[in-house]
Amino acid sequence: MGGQGVSGGLIARIAGLSLVVVFFQAGVVSEVPVFGVTVDLSPLLVAFVGLLCGSTIGAVSGFAVGLLVDLALVQTLGLTSLVFTLVGYWCGRLRELRDPQAALTPLLVGAGATAAALVVYSLMEFMLGVDAPVSLELLRQIVLGVLVDTIVALPMWVLVRRCLIGGLPEDPRRRRRRAYTTGGLSPLSRT
Amino acid sequence: MYDKTVRRRRAVLALLVVLSLILLTAYFGEASGGRLHSVQRGFLTVVSPIQDGANKALKPVRDLFGWFGDTLHAKSQNAQLRKQLAALRREVVAEHVDQQSYHQLLTMFHLDNQLSIADYRPVTATVVGKTPNIWYATVTIDKGTSAGVQVNDPVINDEGLVGKVTLAASDGSQVSLITDSSMGVSARIGSSTATGIVQPKVGDPNDLLLQYLPGGTATVKGEYVYTSGTVASPDDSLYPRGIPIGQVTSVDEESAYESVNVHPLANLRNLDVVQVLSAAAGSQPARLSGLVSSFPAGGHPSTETGTAGQLASTGAG
Repeated sequence: MGGQGVSGGLIARIAGLSLVVVFFQAGVVSEVPVFGVTVDLSPLLVAFVGLLCGSTIGAVSGFAVGLLVDLALVQTLGLTSLVFTLVGYWCGRLRELRDPQAALTPLLVGAGATAAALVVYSLMEFMLGVDAPVSLELLRQIVLGVLVDTIVALPMWVLVRRCLIGGLPEDPRRRRRRAYTTGGLSPLSRT
Repeated sequence: MYDKTVRRRRAVLALLVVLSLILLTAYFGEASGGRLHSVQRGFLTVVSPIQDGANKALKPVRDLFGWFGDTLHAKSQNAQLRKQLAALRREVVAEHVDQQSYHQLLTMFHLDNQLSIADYRPVTATVVGKTPNIWYATVTIDKGTSAGVQVNDPVINDEGLVGKVTLAASDGSQVSLITDSSMGVSARIGSSTATGIVQPKVGDPNDLLLQYLPGGTATVKGEYVYTSGTVASPDDSLYPRGIPIGQVTSVDEESAYESVNVHPLANLRNLDVVQVLSAAAGSQPARLSGLVSSFPAGGHPSTETGTAGQLASTGAG
């Protein structure tokens, strides 16, 4: 998609979904610890928007969600935006270059996006001078964070896909693939 | 056409990264009263009522999830608490007698002007937001300056000390928990008169360390740690004396100063309702806070010179 053919409806859907997810995250999900950590829905949201809509929309929505998170949670402004911009962009590039269709793709992308977000965020915090060593506790938090986000990745993928699918323009590659699987139209079958 | 698309994609990415870096640099470089901090406060003012409404509407969902964890936790705690209750009953009887003598002596020597929780005006607030990562131990509450909440006001719950207000908007505030890396609370251990600073344990943000206790301070595992009623630097919060902070878990006597590992009493992961101890204008806590903040700032004594850096005692009122 690469930013082409972006409808106002899609932007509204992404904006609405981002607001709901960030407030649900801050008000509810953060209050429920699982294995001593809390689920973080925001990197999953950014990754799945990138995976569905491409790199440009992924990067822009990553920046916007990051800014919203930093504003709502009174964190260092710009830090989460930077991390999520990169996450959204790379998830979008994955779609543009590989267009993975396996059933486990959301799981792997969710885990990868969370791991990348947590590691880059930690590195940035160290660079900004937070007084904390690279400890076992920090590694444990990152590993458990990735684990719990992986658990919720599939339902989150279903939610994001359901919310955005109506606003996505028809993708010729997907149309072609659907036609092959329903039979008769594959170039191979014609030869 | 392809080149144009690629160029545009890369330009958007570069623009967003540069924008993030500009925001980051500007935010990090400005004072807490700066423009970006004001935007953040304004945003907090706008979203606090929405967050409050969403929080109340979604409370049943949160309670349902919390119920499973709480039930398991409660079962394991039950036996332990029964034993503790029996021991505490015996202690309470002895304490009553001591307390009576103590109050008589205080009155006799005119030392009964120490600050206590009763001198504050407690503002009950609901926690409406919480940071999801380990880098910020902060929560957002639904009460702000319109309810009398001010920056540096101590925050407690029914279990003990929770933290202090670090940012106050009109209808919401941000509270830094005692496990936040920016926090330092002047404290003492149960029976001892020695004072130290409670700070988050580096590398384990859910635990605390009572540092700068004079060597040889008698410390027993399981003893309670309380606020000492003193401040460590002019920009500190004036916590009233005697608020329970945590329980001693182990002692490290290797350095010249003694370090004590402390487990917080307040369950900081499941905060729901808290009380902000706000000071009415002209009250004793407000006067003392003003007095303390008027002292010249000498760096951060809490981390550099420990107990020697403590500037004022709430008992001096």
